[in-house]
Formats: sequence, structure tokens, C-alpha cells
Amino acid sequence: MRPHDLGGAEGFGPVDTAESDHAFSADWEARLFAMNVALRRRDAYTSDEFRDAIERLDPDTYYGSSYYERWLAAITTLLLDKGLVPPEAVEETAGG
Amino acid sequence: MADRAHFGVTERVRCLPQIGDHHHRAPGYVQGQVGEVVSVYPARPLPDAVVASGGRDMPAVPFYGVRFLARDLFGEGQHSVTVDLWETYLEKSG
Repeated sequence: MRPHDLGGAEGFGPVDTAESDHAFSADWEARLFAMNVALRRRDAYTSDEFRDAIERLDPDTYYGSSYYERWLAAITTLLLDKGLVPPEAVEETAGG
Repeated sequence: MADRAHFGVTERVRCLPQIGDHHHRAPGYVQGQVGEVVSVYPARPLPDAVVASGGRDMPAVPFYGVRFLARDLFGEGQHSVTVDLWETYLEKSG
């Protein structure tokens, strides 16, 4: 079973229901959100492939990441898999 | 036609017990469980197939709302849980 499939599972602690005035907790999250919209409109990948890429994160990464950290990992994976960015560009941006 | 619905509203269906570890849209808690068809939606491409094809446009597959009893899924609860499921995940029950 993939790490996202948690319906009915126990032991993950209480759900965080805190309300916030902000849709994003940091600027990079908003930029990432916009980037995803732009890539989807250009048919870089489908929503099914995006969900698949999130689910393919290894469980430690999945559970140890925030919502948008998972997005960043998934979008990076898709752009590499589809050859839309060269691996060197990701290495460079990530600081080697 | 492949996109013609084989199940109708009020029909009892079982979600297959082992859908697999690929990308699909059948939560673990309904796999192997019996529910009742409450909606027949327009057919739409199976997400499993879209991912396997690398994002191509795939044939439409019948798509349903299936209502399960919470006590069947979780062993307790007086409510029901309705999950949208593709026909690929379902078989006739009983």
C-alpha cells in the first residue's frame, strides 16, 4: 500500500484543524502553486501523474514532508522523468 | 461499447480485494468490501491507465458512486461512506 492511503489508519495523532488567514505559509509555496498551474496548462503532466508522483515518494519522505514539500518533490520528479529539465539544473538549484 | 455502465443504481457490488500498488483511486478501506451503487456518472478515463500511458488520453470507463456502511469498513459507526469508483475496481456481489 502506498503511503498516502491512510483512511481508517490509527497512530498518526490528532488532525491539525487550526485556521489560518493565509493560504500559504511561505512565498515559495505560492510560487510552486503557480508553477504547477502553468505546467498543467501546458500539458506537462496530468493530475493523475501528479498524484502518482506524490504517492511514489518513499514513506519516510512522505510522512516527514509538509504538503507543499511533497508537491515540490513530485513536480521535480515529473520534470526529470519527462526530460523537461536536465538533472544538472536540479543539482545546481539544490546547491549541488 | 466499453464505456457502457454494467451496474445500475441499487445494485450490490464488491470492490476487488487487491487493487495493487500502482496508482489507483480505490482507498484501502473499501477494497474487498460490498456496497450499493447510488450514482452512475458519465464514463471517464481510468487514472491507472492514464499514468501507465505517460499521460495520454485513454478510453472512458464507467464510473460510479458506491455507498458502504461505516461499520462494514471500520467495525463501528452508524453512518455510510460513499466512494467514487471506476468499474475496473468492481465486481457484481451475490
